[in-house]
Amino acid sequence: MNVELSNADLALRISQGDQEAEAEVCRRMAPRIQLYGLRHLRSSSAADDLVQQVLLTMLEALRAGRLRDSDRLPQFVLGICRMTVLGLRRSARRQERLLVEFGSDLVPDPAPSPMLDDDQLARCVQSLKERERSVVVLTFYNEQTAAETAAFLALSESNVRVIRYRAIRQLRTCMESTS
Amino acid sequence: MTPQHRRRPIACSNPVEADVLMDYWLALLPSSSEETVEEHLVTCDECGDRLREAIALAEGLRTLARSGSLQVVISDEFVKHAAESGQRVRAYAPPPGGSVQCTVAADDDLLVARLAADLSSATRVDLSWCTGEGIEFLRMADIPVRGDAGTVICQQSITMAKASPSNTLIARLVAVDAEEGERLLGEYAFHHTRTIPGPGRWEPS
Repeated sequence: MNVELSNADLALRISQGDQEAEAEVCRRMAPRIQLYGLRHLRSSSAADDLVQQVLLTMLEALRAGRLRDSDRLPQFVLGICRMTVLGLRRSARRQERLLVEFGSDLVPDPAPSPMLDDDQLARCVQSLKERERSVVVLTFYNEQTAAETAAFLALSESNVRVIRYRAIRQLRTCMESTS
Repeated sequence: MTPQHRRRPIACSNPVEADVLMDYWLALLPSSSEETVEEHLVTCDECGDRLREAIALAEGLRTLARSGSLQVVISDEFVKHAAESGQRVRAYAPPPGGSVQCTVAADDDLLVARLAADLSSATRVDLSWCTGEGIEFLRMADIPVRGDAGTVICQQSITMAKASPSNTLIARLVAVDAEEGERLLGEYAFHHTRTIPGPGRWEPS
């Protein structure tokens, strides 16, 4: 399959029964759907399940030629992601039924996750200023909001955000300079 | 981050800022900004890869924050949350000018020092860690404190504490003023007894 084909070309071919085009769209969209799932479902396995469900819904629609504007395939997929996550939240039972019914055949290999040197990260965090380190730990320990951290530090929320941005930038620089 | 994830030229014509990607992951964006980010991510694998880097960093930081291995000033809510989520928290609270006998067990997760002091008049507070002889070996400068808090909660590295031979540490809370210099707010001695098998003193590396 020519991976340079546009999304619109692929959508058209799928409506004509082209299975290679289906595989290419799945390969292209799966990592993006997985990211959406990670963000909203906070679990790798739940994100993988979302990939299955969204791809199935998308393929059904494309086969049936239900995508009106084929240039907007990514936005169509995003819409399915949003609806599916809403549905998953409404009904865990429905999720289980779909997974049993469709299995895992349509899930491509997951996108590789960047590796992190944990020891180096610890050294980089320890090199932060005290206030920055506290903000980072409080933010990431249980994803405390800026308001909660601000209350502890007697700072404004915007100050906490500035400290967090500065700290994370410094951590990125520290990790990149030593990797 | 692995070498292949080092900073590289961004080909995306409208890349999402790294700060915004991290806020997106932390669910800190307003909903309209979140929708804009998602509409971009569903079309851009490059920014998707950068989001994966942000996620890796966030997860690394979360793991590190939960490991108890950092020396950091934390909040009472942090300690409560740790205990409620099943972590074994060992806390010591020597009175100002006093001392406490302490240790750590193999299954402890967090080690916390609670240092009571009147912080109301201090504009900047340093936490100085000294040997039993009073020689400073670490200064945590300008620690985050609330003037009305009355207590500084400092997490000690549980990893270091578990490996530490029996010894005495002295913590000093010091108010620092550009004109008046330093003023002792409180001094606290921790007499640590090793209960986990190991060398009787630090081995030269």
